[in-house]
Amino acid sequence: MRKVWAVIRREFIERVRTKWFLISTILGPVFMIVVTVLPALLTTKTGRVNSVVLVDEGSATLAERLRTQLGRTGRFDVTLVATDPERAGAVTDSLTAQVQIQGIDGFLAVSGATLESGSVEYRGRNVSSIRDMAVLDRALRQALLIERLTRRGIDPALVQEAQGRIDLKTLRITKRGATGETGEATFFLAYVIGLVMYMVITLYSVNVMRSVLEEKQTRIIEVLVSSMKPFQLMLGKVVGVGGVGLFQFGIWASAGYALVHYKTAILGIFKVPADQVASIQLPAVGAGLVGVAAAYFLLGYLLYSALFAVVGASVNADSEAQQAQQPVMMLLIASLLVLFPVLNDPGGRLAVVASLVPFSAPIIMPIRVAASEVPPAELAGSLAILGATMMFVVWGSARVYRIGILMYGKRPSMKELLRWARQS
Amino acid sequence: MTDHDLIVELNGITKRFTGHLAVQELSLAVHRGAVYGLLGPNGAGKTTTIRMMMNITIPDEGSVRLFGDERGGRHHSARIGYLPEERGLYKKMRVRDALTFLAEAKGVRRANAARKADEWLERLGLGDWRTRKIEELSKGMQQKVQFIATMLHEPELLILDEPFAGLDPINQDALKDIVVQLSRAGTTILFSTHQMDVAERVCDHVCIIARGRKVLDGALAEVKRVHGGTHVAVAFEDGEGGAAAIASVSSLVAKADDYGVYAELALLDGVDPQTLLERLLRAGARLRRFERVEPSLHRIFLDKAGPDAAEETKPEVARA
Repeated sequence: MRKVWAVIRREFIERVRTKWFLISTILGPVFMIVVTVLPALLTTKTGRVNSVVLVDEGSATLAERLRTQLGRTGRFDVTLVATDPERAGAVTDSLTAQVQIQGIDGFLAVSGATLESGSVEYRGRNVSSIRDMAVLDRALRQALLIERLTRRGIDPALVQEAQGRIDLKTLRITKRGATGETGEATFFLAYVIGLVMYMVITLYSVNVMRSVLEEKQTRIIEVLVSSMKPFQLMLGKVVGVGGVGLFQFGIWASAGYALVHYKTAILGIFKVPADQVASIQLPAVGAGLVGVAAAYFLLGYLLYSALFAVVGASVNADSEAQQAQQPVMMLLIASLLVLFPVLNDPGGRLAVVASLVPFSAPIIMPIRVAASEVPPAELAGSLAILGATMMFVVWGSARVYRIGILMYGKRPSMKELLRWARQS
Repeated sequence: MTDHDLIVELNGITKRFTGHLAVQELSLAVHRGAVYGLLGPNGAGKTTTIRMMMNITIPDEGSVRLFGDERGGRHHSARIGYLPEERGLYKKMRVRDALTFLAEAKGVRRANAARKADEWLERLGLGDWRTRKIEELSKGMQQKVQFIATMLHEPELLILDEPFAGLDPINQDALKDIVVQLSRAGTTILFSTHQMDVAERVCDHVCIIARGRKVLDGALAEVKRVHGGTHVAVAFEDGEGGAAAIASVSSLVAKADDYGVYAELALLDGVDPQTLLERLLRAGARLRRFERVEPSLHRIFLDKAGPDAAEETKPEVARA
């Protein structure tokens, strides 16, 4: 047991000491803060105000109404220029020149015909700013609508009232009632969890493979297996590397917890005003979800690291490992392929099947738990299948590993690997 | 000698790999305190034999006993120091950490292992490198670190596979000194090599294997006596006349190696050197040197395991 402990210790310490670990551990919380702060910072009104010229070619009250609407958005500073249709061409030319020398950002013209046609051209330097163009579009629609209705004799106040802001809010309902989470936040959380599960499982399993290969290449393996059983070595390796994964997972989870519970203080550091912070929707990450994610990370990691250990044991060089790991990588990537269909319908048939198949369950089930309510029976079934498969794969892998680590030369075929697994 | 003194005992071990026989019915015994040389040309089966001792591969037939016990190397790892033929260490690890880990893997307590690592590093002049990464060390230093890793846990038995291969003369000498020191302190040492000069200087017992079979086994002095035959070194005052003089005694000589300054003559079985001397004088040779010499291990090795000995693989044993 002391020997296994020595292996665990080495794998853990040597990894935690690397720059790579330090950077990725810090980057996790930084990423979390960025995705929360960024939208908040974007919505603060620090955006540039566009100075535009509105050319009124005899539109009666429409131009004035449009100016009011645009002014309200806070993103446009409108100068009204009245002209008659005969001189419109000359005005356009001079305004185009103004845009070119950056005197103004752009211009648009409305005439009497605009009310009927509803077609307006905006010419400006930056027409690809989706946000600004959306604001412009909305203001224009509103101005035209009000103007049209008013001209038919409807009270402008009534029109204004009918125009009241309409907002579709999507709220997630669980068995415990409405959560107050928005659909967007839930989708985002589930998506991020899926990606993180994929990344950490891949990362740490591949680490096991590299570690196996290093010992094989340097022949330290001969010294080690003459001191301990191959299974002890593999066990120590898998537990040690997995420990690093859980350690990092723990740091990230704590950082996430801190961010949720002390968001005002943390975001205050980044000069996000308190009233803004209150409006930031953070997905509620319950202890249940963290527990599910940790359990699936552990089982998924054990399953895949055992497979990657076999890859490491059956090759002689890094270049061979690249190729030999393809079949195992495919299993992981297949889970990514169903990620979006599952996100769109977390209770659907595909999602249920993918969360029962042990090779995709570690990535898909946490997504489902984050995005919807998963029946306890399904969760238990998924865990049981994954656990049983994991134990079977670890058992087989240990047998192949035991022989593979001491084999040099030609890469074994799939048939040979299976024979090694059966061999006593 | 009692059974208690048998440290390594191989009984008729055979190992087959697809298509060829790596080791065939090999038996040998290493007694406590011996410096045992396992000699043989490349591909003779030395490494396979050692791996079977270490429990890394399992013999198809026959048995391996270490310290009088059949359970194999892994169960005695704390008592054995093993240096594999191909060297390597964890490149990214610090020197002391790597040594400590490898000692822990053999069951040494951590604190103890770290202290011993420091002592050994100091002793081999690597004290300033203990916290450096292994990849920063020169190749010679890395080899020293690996030797330390083999000996750190103070094993009773050292098994070294080609320990001198790839070492420069300085490190070769340093390692030879360590082997001699450990041997004096009572450590049993078994090593494989194809460098006969080293084996001749260090071993007290040799076993020559070729093509997976043992061709010769015994105490070094005894092997030389039994298998060397009678060798005489002769030199003539008149260098030119030497060849003619040697030709005149060709009926007594099995093999003559003319080195220019002197010639080494291997006499046929049963020929008395005195007869040779008489015949040379009678032929009119003026001798400057006439001396009975021991055959070199190199010579014996070539005779027994060299290309000329291809067909002669039946085991012969010389008992001390």
